[in-house]
Amino acid sequence: MAVETLERPPAETTEAPVYEDDARIVRYKIRTGMFAWMAHRLSGIAIVIYLILHVWGLKALTDRDAFNALIAGYHAPIFKIGEFLLLAAVAYHAFNGLRIVLIDFLGWSPKQKRLFWTLAAVTAAIIVIGGYPSIYAVVTYFTGG
Amino acid sequence: MRTYGTNRSNALNWFLHRITGTFLIFLLITHFWVQHYDAQTATVVAQTLSSEQIEQGVLPEYSSEARAAVKAKFGPDATVTPYDVVMLRLADPVYAVLWKGFNILFLIFALHHGFYGLNNILSDYIRNDMGRLVARVLSWSLALVLLVVGLYAVITAGWTY
Repeated sequence: MAVETLERPPAETTEAPVYEDDARIVRYKIRTGMFAWMAHRLSGIAIVIYLILHVWGLKALTDRDAFNALIAGYHAPIFKIGEFLLLAAVAYHAFNGLRIVLIDFLGWSPKQKRLFWTLAAVTAAIIVIGGYPSIYAVVTYFTGG
Repeated sequence: MRTYGTNRSNALNWFLHRITGTFLIFLLITHFWVQHYDAQTATVVAQTLSSEQIEQGVLPEYSSEARAAVKAKFGPDATVTPYDVVMLRLADPVYAVLWKGFNILFLIFALHHGFYGLNNILSDYIRNDMGRLVARVLSWSLALVLLVVGLYAVITAGWTY
C-alpha cells in the first residue's frame, strides 16, 4: 500500500508537497484505509512486546513450581483484562493482515470495501464470543458472584 | 532530498512476511483453542484469582475432563496443576513429537513475522543509516536469544516427568 504522508501526497494531487526535513514524527492523512494501517502497526508493536514476554516466560516450562506460579499469576484480574485486549489485538491484526494478503496475492482490490466490512464483522464476532469467558471471569470476580 | 538506505533483499522477506502471516492465523487458532478453550487441555481457564490467593499458592481449578485426563495418564494419585495439564501433551511419548513440532514451527514463524514487522516500523522512523543498522542488529539479536530460550523450553519440557 502506498503510504500518504503530508510530506509525500498521492501522485495525482497538484498541490505542492510539504517538506519538513527536521520532522521527527511523520504526520499521516487519516482515512479509513490509513486508520486500518495505523491500527495494524500499533497492534503489531503490542503483539511483539507480548511475544517477547511470552517466549521469555517459557523458561518456566522446565520447572514445575515456577510454571505453576506463572500460570496462577495469569489468573489475576489485570491479566484477564490483558487477555481480552490481546485477543482483540491479535484478531484485528490477523484479519487485517488476511485482507492485505487477499488484496496483494489474489487481486481483490476491486472488492476491497465489501472485504473490509465482512472481515470487520467476523473480527468483531470473534472478539465478542472468544473474549466473553475472560470478561465474564473478571466481572463475576469484581461483583462477588 | 535526504537519501534513505536501500535494501535489495527485502522482496523475499516481504513475500515470507505474507506467508508466515497466513500460517500464523491457523497456528494461532489452534494455539488459542488448546490453551484457553478446550476443556481437557486449557491451562489458562476462565477463572480469576485475587493477589492474596496467588501469594498463598492457590492454583486455578480445572474441569472434570482435564482432571480425568491427567489421572488417566499419570495415575490416580497425580496432582492436577497447570504443569500437569500441559504435560498431557508435552510429556506424552506419541503426541509430544507432534506438539513440540507444532510449537517449534509456531515459534520460528512468530519470531520472523514479529521481528521483520518491527524492523519495517523501525526503519520507517529511524532516519539515519547507522541508527537503522544498530536497531536491526539489536532487534534480530533479541529474536535469536528468544529463539534459543523458546527452543530449549519446548524441546526439554517433560523430560523429567
